Amino acid sequence: VGAGVNGIPVLSVMTWAPFVSALVIMFFARHRPLLVRWTSLVGTAVSLAASAWVYWAYDRAAAGFQFREELPLVPSLGISYLLAIDGMSALMALLTSIIIFAGVFASWTVKERSQEFYALLLVLVTGVYGVFVSFDLFILFLFYEIAVLPMYLLIGIWGSSGHIRPQGIFGWAMGRTGVGTKEYAAMKLTLYLLFGSAFILVGLLALYVAAGSRSFSFFALESVPFDHSLQTWVFLAFYVGFGILAGIWPLHTWSPDGHASAPTAVSMLHAGVLMKLGAYGVVRLGMGLLPDAAVDWAWLVGTIACINIVYGALSAMAQTDLKYVIAYSSVSHMGVVMLGAATLTEVGLNGAVFQMFAHGIMTGLFFALVGLVYEKAHSREIFRMGGFGSMMPGIATAFTIAGLSSLGLPATAGFVAEFLTFLGAWSSEYRWWLVPGVIGAFLTSIYVLRVARQIFWGPKTDDPHFQNLPDAQGPEWAALGILVFVLVLFGVVPGIAIAPVDTSTVPLIERLTGR
Amino acid sequence: MTADLVSALIPELALFALAILVLVGGLVQQGDPAGRIGWFTFAGLIAIFGLTFVSSEGASLFGGAFVLDSLAVFAKRLFVAAAALSLLGSLTLKQSSFVRRSAEYHFALLVSLLGMVVLASARDLILLFVAFELMSIPLFVLTGFLRRESVAPEAALKFFLVGTASSAVIVYGMSFVYGASGSTAVSAIPAALADGHPLMMLGMALLMAGLGFKIAAFPFHMWAPDAYEAASTPFVAWLSVAPKAAGFIALIRLYVEGVGSAALIWMPALSVLAGMTIVTGNLMAIPQQNIKRMLAYSGVAHIGYMLVGFAALSSSGVGMMLFYLVAYMFGNMGAFLVVEAVAQSERSDGIDAYRGLAQRSPLLALAMLIFLLSLGGIPFVAGFWAKLYVFWAAVERGLYGLVFLGAVLTVVALYYYLLVARRMYIEAPDRRDPVAVPGLLGAAIVICVLGVVGIGVYPGPWVDIAMRVASTLF
Repeated sequence: VGAGVNGIPVLSVMTWAPFVSALVIMFFARHRPLLVRWTSLVGTAVSLAASAWVYWAYDRAAAGFQFREELPLVPSLGISYLLAIDGMSALMALLTSIIIFAGVFASWTVKERSQEFYALLLVLVTGVYGVFVSFDLFILFLFYEIAVLPMYLLIGIWGSSGHIRPQGIFGWAMGRTGVGTKEYAAMKLTLYLLFGSAFILVGLLALYVAAGSRSFSFFALESVPFDHSLQTWVFLAFYVGFGILAGIWPLHTWSPDGHASAPTAVSMLHAGVLMKLGAYGVVRLGMGLLPDAAVDWAWLVGTIACINIVYGALSAMAQTDLKYVIAYSSVSHMGVVMLGAATLTEVGLNGAVFQMFAHGIMTGLFFALVGLVYEKAHSREIFRMGGFGSMMPGIATAFTIAGLSSLGLPATAGFVAEFLTFLGAWSSEYRWWLVPGVIGAFLTSIYVLRVARQIFWGPKTDDPHFQNLPDAQGPEWAALGILVFVLVLFGVVPGIAIAPVDTSTVPLIERLTGR
Repeated sequence: MTADLVSALIPELALFALAILVLVGGLVQQGDPAGRIGWFTFAGLIAIFGLTFVSSEGASLFGGAFVLDSLAVFAKRLFVAAAALSLLGSLTLKQSSFVRRSAEYHFALLVSLLGMVVLASARDLILLFVAFELMSIPLFVLTGFLRRESVAPEAALKFFLVGTASSAVIVYGMSFVYGASGSTAVSAIPAALADGHPLMMLGMALLMAGLGFKIAAFPFHMWAPDAYEAASTPFVAWLSVAPKAAGFIALIRLYVEGVGSAALIWMPALSVLAGMTIVTGNLMAIPQQNIKRMLAYSGVAHIGYMLVGFAALSSSGVGMMLFYLVAYMFGNMGAFLVVEAVAQSERSDGIDAYRGLAQRSPLLALAMLIFLLSLGGIPFVAGFWAKLYVFWAAVERGLYGLVFLGAVLTVVALYYYLLVARRMYIEAPDRRDPVAVPGLLGAAIVICVLGVVGIGVYPGPWVDIAMRVASTLF
């Protein structure tokens, strides 16, 4: 048994702490809502501490994969419990910790069946951590499934239904599907993501059999020079499989429905972290294991990313439901992530990873705010609300900061991410990718500022429903404070993220271009 | 010699004796309100399950027509265990026809089981066919057993017609095989196949079609939903597993055992059959409003997944198929037993009867969710490993297209399984009172949950057993 550092398997602690607290909740906290919340908070705090410590203790000079833990599970098939971390994983684990820690605060007011809610949420988080730190691909796949499945119940039971009247020539057909309801969204999201995981599974099996080494270890498979034609289709399988989760066009449609219907903490986690799982999978498995195919398919990945950026932004502009605006902005921003990865340059890939982090925090903040607004005003319709800035100055300020980061204002994390990505696009083989990227940033500023002005800073509405609304309270401040702080911190001092990320992107790019 | 015979045939002899005793008991005692016959049969089956461990493995009787290799022993245990589970579920049935004609029901069940147990060992075409008929004919009777149900006679007749037609096709195919090979011994098939006689190929193709009826593969699956809907649920739980397993054993005997790499000529046909079966089963299951019909179609799809493993025609493929059978037995029987529990309380097999079950009977809903997830192939329950291993074996043979198709259609399957989960967990219940589950039925459900979760968490030993059985065939 290889243990992490000083005999403490710190990565396992980080991964399983939420799971343990989920068990505690199910068995010892029945019908005691406050205990449920505190148990969740303790579990996620342990993970936060562990991930922050790992992030800080990661030896950047030595680089590579550190804190390795290994335990053979099924030796005959080469399956082992193999955890490790590098700069990219460390940043993603830190993101997960921040979002879920804030998410527990943000969902403090969940009343209905809160015990099951928190338990499922924590199980899901375990799956997310697991994907980021597992380097046995089979175990990674299992964690991936854990991260996807609880979503069905989380959205189906605790979600909210919107009012959508489908229009257009297929409107009648869409209407019959029940679009807009939480049941529809939950089913759609689950099926899309499981559809993706079917592709991933086939790809993994193909690599395992082709390598012939009877091992699922990432490190073992990394050194195998796979046949070019195998690489070509397995990369596509991984791109489609993980890409669905990353919201690539045209397989993104689960994301707006799912994120709009999900309860606050789930939207935060899903848009903030789970979509990054998809991008992480494409980068780690697709580009890491299949370098030749990654170079071959870069044009496809980049072009679709450009469509994502512009299409997502245009769709966001057309929405009248606040949650859908944020959800479509995620589709647009995930395009930036994929664009950065497709540039196959160090700076572009750094931008992609940084954007994963920045967008995760930002969209987490957005969904927390939308959840708060909905809870106070019981409305998500942008054009019915107005002038909330005077009643809820704290929420309004936080929303504006998130919005400014979203459109890439300097001194926020969003700026660094987009700047690096665009720099990468300019120095890549396809310079024209810069154009849709910049157009996307421009469109983002339109829809974000429009929403901020309408709801918060414009003239106050006369609607009697929207008078004397309270600002954020108690634990909700904690959620907002943490996220705003991180967003600004990483915008002002981007080096604290770039330095560790560099340790994993530099070798990856060397492998891709020096073949 | 006699001692050898007895030690090899002891499960069959015991089963025969048990069947006769049940028949005589039914003549002596009119009606069975206390369920004594059921209990007696159940105890007998447990004893026979034990006897399968006593009988001497490796025996070969009657000039190789009856063998007791590890495949036969594996299959016998599977059949008897499935029958015992089903009986545990039906012991508490209170319908008047069950009480009145209890002996008849149990006798037919035992005779059918006897047919399967003999079939597991048959390595001669004649014996194989006789065993098949011994198994099938009581199944027709049992399907129409609940005569008060208006659909029962129709379903039984349909099943009977399809079943006898398929038997005719099998016999017809066997006649060609005999004509080409000059022997009724299954062991003569590989040599005759190597000669490449066209009649041999015709015969084997006809046999495959006939066996396709038995396992309800596309396009021979139409009898399954009607039969399942009409028959009593604990019996359906068994019907959905054991006869299909028997069909697969026959397929293995005829197409794989001792044939070696020459078997690969069947790969294209089997792949197409597997793919079509998966697609049809999964798509037809979607619109079903009756959960038994839905499970029937999903069962057709599962047969397709087993055929994926079989189509690999490799040691690992057949082994994984056998493992799939075990996983399927626990998952599918468990689901049907929950259906029985809900039907007893709600008087309905509709999917709508499951509304809010999680709030009425959380444990029953959880059990159903586990079974559905296992059937859907979700990690940490048995079905995931079953699908994974089957795909694995197919990928080793390079059947990427088939694996893609199968993997993508698992998502379709999850759609209709999740529709049930949605009724149970998301929708609000119409009533608040818990669903009453009879103790024995509950015990059977618990056994299935333990099986599904146990295999799901620690599949190793089960895989090893299945692989060891399969390795003797190549």
